[in-house]
Amino acid sequence: MPILEVANITKRYPGVTALDDVSMSFERGEIHALMGENGAGKSTLVKIIAGAESADDGEVIVGGKAFRGMTPLDAKRAGISVIYQELNLAPSLSVAENLFIGKRVGNSRVRPDFGEMNRRAAEVLRELGSNVKPETLVFELSASQQQLVEIGKALVDNCKVLIMDEPSAAIAVAEVENMFRVVRQMRDRGVAVIYISHRIDEVFELCGRVSILRDGQYIATERTEGLSRRGLIRHMVGRELSETFPRRAARVGEAALEAVGLTGNGDFNINLTVRRGEVLGLAGLVGAGRAEFAKMVCGDVRPASGELRVNGRVRRFGSVADALAEGVGLIPEDRKREGLFMDFAIDWNIPSMSFKRLSRFGIVSQKKAEALTDRYVDALRIKTPSTRQAARNLSGGNQQKVVVARTLAAEADILIFDEPTRGIDVGSKQEIYSLMNGLAESGSAIIMITSDMEELLGMSDRVAVMYEGRVTGELTRGEFSQQRALELASGYTA
Amino acid sequence: MKRTIDFCQKNLALVLLVTAGAIFSATTANFFTLTNILNILNQNAYTIIAMCGVALIMIGGDLDMSVGYHMSICGVLCAMMLTRTAIPVPVVVALTVLLSVAAATLTTFLTELLAIPRIFVTIGEATLFQGCAYVITNSKTISNLPAAFKNIAQGALGHPSLTYATLIMAVFVAAMSFTLSHTYFGRHVFSMGGNLTAARLAGINTRRMKYIIGILVGFFLGVAAVILIGRTGAAAANTAAGVEINILTGILLGGVSIRGGEGKISNCVAGILLVALISNGMQLAGWNPYYQYIAKGVIMLCALGFDMFQMRRRSVMNNQRKEEIVKTAAREG
Ligand SMILES: Nc1ncnc2c1ncn2[C@@H]1O[C@H](COP(=O)(O)OP(=O)(O)OP(=O)(O)O)[C@@H](O)[C@H]1O
Ligand SMILES: [Mg+2]
Repeated sequence: MPILEVANITKRYPGVTALDDVSMSFERGEIHALMGENGAGKSTLVKIIAGAESADDGEVIVGGKAFRGMTPLDAKRAGISVIYQELNLAPSLSVAENLFIGKRVGNSRVRPDFGEMNRRAAEVLRELGSNVKPETLVFELSASQQQLVEIGKALVDNCKVLIMDEPSAAIAVAEVENMFRVVRQMRDRGVAVIYISHRIDEVFELCGRVSILRDGQYIATERTEGLSRRGLIRHMVGRELSETFPRRAARVGEAALEAVGLTGNGDFNINLTVRRGEVLGLAGLVGAGRAEFAKMVCGDVRPASGELRVNGRVRRFGSVADALAEGVGLIPEDRKREGLFMDFAIDWNIPSMSFKRLSRFGIVSQKKAEALTDRYVDALRIKTPSTRQAARNLSGGNQQKVVVARTLAAEADILIFDEPTRGIDVGSKQEIYSLMNGLAESGSAIIMITSDMEELLGMSDRVAVMYEGRVTGELTRGEFSQQRALELASGYTA
Repeated sequence: MKRTIDFCQKNLALVLLVTAGAIFSATTANFFTLTNILNILNQNAYTIIAMCGVALIMIGGDLDMSVGYHMSICGVLCAMMLTRTAIPVPVVVALTVLLSVAAATLTTFLTELLAIPRIFVTIGEATLFQGCAYVITNSKTISNLPAAFKNIAQGALGHPSLTYATLIMAVFVAAMSFTLSHTYFGRHVFSMGGNLTAARLAGINTRRMKYIIGILVGFFLGVAAVILIGRTGAAAANTAAGVEINILTGILLGGVSIRGGEGKISNCVAGILLVALISNGMQLAGWNPYYQYIAKGVIMLCALGFDMFQMRRRSVMNNQRKEEIVKTAAREG
């Protein structure tokens, strides 16, 4: 008997049917992938299973017990744990406190027994193969360590179903393996793991079965053995899709941006050049200083020393506005915190960097703002019933597209893409790549920060690898190899 | 039907104002007359002018709690310049507004320097201004303001109750409405209230914007102070004490969120007038002033509840959202 079943679930939002009569089932001790394009309804299904949203129709059956209008508490009691894409820990509490949040530890009703709590937390952490100390405060942890704590929470809850919504999107490549190990361990304990991801390799490596949603409809469930990559993509997209990186016919011209001994907070020394018509891939582990470098280039952080040359002239940016005026624009990494105005409509978000340019005598032309929005909604195929929709109501991938659109709309021609395809589906990735190619061909210079190896090697003309605030090496197209990039990223320079 | 409900929720203050107005018209003779309505506008002109500034701050995602004593000290200084020096009236007015702008700029400077929300700085300043106002006036009321000065607020145009104060207010309200909804400056203010980090990374010079907003607030509060003491003809240390609560209540009823990023000036005007009508009604009914405080407190809390309700209506409170609030609270607190 399956541990979890959803039967005939339908969920409508104004203007969209997010789920249309969806039924599927999940077994104990399997890792079951849930795939589909952006806006297919994956996260909505998860929210319904977790009781965070209520379905318009249909039921969720956990361990043989049917629920209609399940509440979060029902879900929790039934043994369902969800790890959302944005991690949900209390940053100023310790790891142990986070693990046992809302639970009674020890005999006192008032004060938890912290000794006991730390002991039990240490046990959980050991089981997860993590060397984090229970007393460590969560904000000191890296994203992947935080994720382990989330998994630990599920473990403490003794969950039967663990749902992970794009867990690999936020963590570094090198740390994905460890996450896999823990997920497999959960499977071996008999937990049903539902794993949402846009990374196809990952799904083949980790998951036994995969279910596919398209436009809110259930398409198929297949075993991953015997399924081809092409077949999977065809299920998701509904047509054949070539996955090769689109060719680019850009002529590499003069230097657009040069960093000479650029130093930020701490131990930094960055020397880099990007030319017009070129895509420079910037690789490195989390904490290598790539994000800080991006912030310095786009004017948000003032470099402590060193020089930044734009189009051959030395520039000191006092603000992002200054940098934009010189054509330097950033597509930030954390869309929710740094990119979007969640409660504002798409037709506010996309022109939000361009209001000044779209106005005469200080008055914004609403017509121009809307035209600009429509252009990018079309170009990036942002899926929404209307451009009046608030960003909050878009699916994760579509939110990401809005962030990309907003910087492109600002007409910057030296662009820093910080993880541009995080959470974006296969088809849309191709579109973003074509768009980047188009930009390079028209003479823009692009710095692309990415932890996706395929993307790095497939899209870059040149790759610079950073390690602890320095560029440890540069690879030209002929020298590209994943092995070499990873070596440089971990500081191995021989 | 759904449309009507939606309209009522979005323009609650306006709907309530019309309802209250209808009740008063039905029960009180001479309520719904041009003269009476102009009188109400005249009495509230200064609050509405000050509201223009406070709403700007709130839409930008900040809060100002020093409004009352800020206006009081400006009023007191203005009155002293008028009665104890020979500075011509127009110059006094200009100096008062300038002083007010300087004080508000100081506030912005402190918030930027200490990197804390404006609300905390202004809570401190409110007490500071209060002390200063009492010290310089020696707790006495300054009256006998020159007629030329009082005329700025009291002078009338066309109709005996259509005062300059009302006209000035109308101009400011129109200008602010237009600025907020149609200019890029206005959009930048909303953006800051919506997500300050995203606004900064979108190339909005948020630091400069905060100074500009501060200057505008100072300007509005300075003018409001001049209008207030011009209308009453006297100034004391507690002249405008406590108006911030009326203004805040009115603005919240007007649909501005305490978290910033939304709101409409016209609805805020309705909110302020609603609060004024209610206070006025309580006075007419001869309520004990202490009960009036209780009523005002309840209304203020209702306004906050309404704000919360609006937010919930917009975003379903799923687990994610709840955790997010906990998270931000933990990060900031
Ligand atoms: N609160 C909401 N209000 C209105 N529409 C919504 C809301 N939440 C989701 N939707 C819509 O429902 C559809 C499914 O969204 P969902 O988040 O489930 O997609 P997803 O499969 O998780 O996509 P992604 O891969 O981009 O994360 C989308 O079209 C989205 O715009
Ligand atoms: Mg999703």
